[in-house]
Amino acid sequence: MNKFKVEGTKSTPVINLDPENNVFEIRGESYPENCWSFYKPMFEWLENYFENSEVNKIVFEMEILYFNSSSSKTFMDFFDLLDEQFEKGREIVVNWRYHEDNETAMECGEEFMEDVSSISFNLVEFGD
Amino acid sequence: MSMELYSYYEKMQNQGTILYFNGPVSQTVVEGIAELLRDKMRAEETGMGSVQRVFAILVEQMQNIVRYSDERIEGNNGWEGEIAFGTLMVGHEEDGSYYIACGNRVKATEGKEIARRIDHLQGMDKDELKAYYKECRKKKKADSLKGAGLGFIDMARKSSRPLDYSITPIDGDNAFFIMKVVTI
Repeated sequence: MNKFKVEGTKSTPVINLDPENNVFEIRGESYPENCWSFYKPMFEWLENYFENSEVNKIVFEMEILYFNSSSSKTFMDFFDLLDEQFEKGREIVVNWRYHEDNETAMECGEEFMEDVSSISFNLVEFGD
Repeated sequence: MSMELYSYYEKMQNQGTILYFNGPVSQTVVEGIAELLRDKMRAEETGMGSVQRVFAILVEQMQNIVRYSDERIEGNNGWEGEIAFGTLMVGHEEDGSYYIACGNRVKATEGKEIARRIDHLQGMDKDELKAYYKECRKKKKADSLKGAGLGFIDMARKSSRPLDYSITPIDGDNAFFIMKVVTI
């Protein structure tokens, strides 16, 4: 399975989905001009991956410094997609990573955690 | 006309204006201005919470200009981005809190819809806003205002006062929308 890799910009995160090395990460800022068209290829890749892979467990690392309201909606759709995969028998973990000083990122993580259904959603604080 | 710039400058200095922009806005401008203001606030050792709130409100407001301003330059020649005209002001209130205000032209009918949405949020306290934000975020179907609904709620949550706005008729079909958000 090919990996999916997008380089980060000022307003879009690094996305690195690499089954071979067992790395699934989204890191950076998220306020693209058109959120849906930015994330659409990632959703397509994931749907294709889940359809064609036998993988049982996936751990996503998410470290988002800032995201706008459209990204917030898109991330919720992303977690809904992961919840569906959990229903199909996969173990899905999301590690929501934030710097200890970044209270906003922590609160945003808490609000996502409240709204996911079945996946394991962890708040992971880190220091300097 | 250009010789009046000094009086504009002086007036804005006296009023605690941090930033004023009037002109075409694109995603590049959104990124540039938002980052510039964030760097400035960090350099002044502003608290992280204030920096993040001001940055977030500024991005939402400027992206609203890019999406909804009725004065636009349509893309061509391979340029796929959007450019739209708007006006933006960031400054200090007398009590030291920040205000972020933006304005742009809208169709009169859209102005009514925007007013309806903001009015709906005015009576809500922080807990109700949070619940409403999460309810809208969970909805499967994107609404007609392309996510602006969520943006308004997000700004209301970060605002220390009810959202302030006005819609001034220009002529029968067009109006000018102004919105001001105050945050600590």
